[in-house]
Amino acid sequence: MDRRRLSLGLIATLTMGFTGTLGFAGAKAAVNKAAAPKRVQVTGEIIDTWCYVTEIMFAQGTAHHQCAVWCALGGIPVSVLGKDGKVYMVLRVEGDDTSVANPKLITIQTSEVTVDGDLYVRDGVNYLMVNKIADNKGIVNLTQDEYGIQPFGK
Amino acid sequence: MRRIFIGAGLIALGVIANAQAAEEWGIDFEKKARVEAKVVDMACELTGNCPDNCGNGKRQLGLLMDDGRLVPVIKNFDIFAGATNDLIKHCNKRIVADGLMISNPKMPMFALQFSKPAEGGKWSRANQFGKDWSKANGGKNSGQWFRTDPVVARIIKKDGVFGIPGLKAKSE
Repeated sequence: MDRRRLSLGLIATLTMGFTGTLGFAGAKAAVNKAAAPKRVQVTGEIIDTWCYVTEIMFAQGTAHHQCAVWCALGGIPVSVLGKDGKVYMVLRVEGDDTSVANPKLITIQTSEVTVDGDLYVRDGVNYLMVNKIADNKGIVNLTQDEYGIQPFGK
Repeated sequence: MRRIFIGAGLIALGVIANAQAAEEWGIDFEKKARVEAKVVDMACELTGNCPDNCGNGKRQLGLLMDDGRLVPVIKNFDIFAGATNDLIKHCNKRIVADGLMISNPKMPMFALQFSKPAEGGKWSRANQFGKDWSKANGGKNSGQWFRTDPVVARIIKKDGVFGIPGLKAKSE
């Protein structure tokens, strides 16, 4: 009896393990590969990805400009907060593959831009390869009266 | 007696292990996570444009999980700094990453606090940006690097803290 239970248990374990392995392998093959890029035009504000997504402080417009410069220079990814409310993480700008502390991105923090680019969507993240900054309206989101200087007030 | 020594040793090991464990930062959707994954150049992973050594620190890096998920590593342990300087030495290698998995629907991301090679080795605190900044700035303390960084100073002097020269807040 004990031996039978042991055998059944062993079979169950092996079967579940095998099925689990197959399921895992199938899932691995079926998901998560980036789709081909989609040509897009995105209009929105250049933002600091960390502060905006985590909401650890108010992170839009003039109130957050200085902090956005710090974060971009510190190597945190820069994104475009689209008018559609989506965050587009920038991995290339006009032929320049530098996405860590790229001077071009640091100096346009908080600006409202329209960019043409290739969009890759993978695992819930929008990655944007900017081919051209088609328009730059400069900084138009004036939030300093309401929020002061984020995060330290100076 | 021998058992007591072994027990004390195990407790000590536990304390050491806990000392390397990630801490919560009180961020929405965060969950402490220790994951084994491959460090990848995200632009390479997405587009197939793959320079040597993951772009030598100029490209954003991420974690390619065993289930195929690509997770961007957005933050390290230094204030206002990313994790590329911590991860670049592990380009295309497997690591154990300890930190926060932030499953925010706006954008999932990882905040790195510690890492070590998956094959073994010592844990490193994810504060390489501060070390590199200090080295590049005459040994200055990097605790408030953003207050004394010359590039920041030049930009803020030119454009002001709000990014528009001369603009002030009502309260000023």
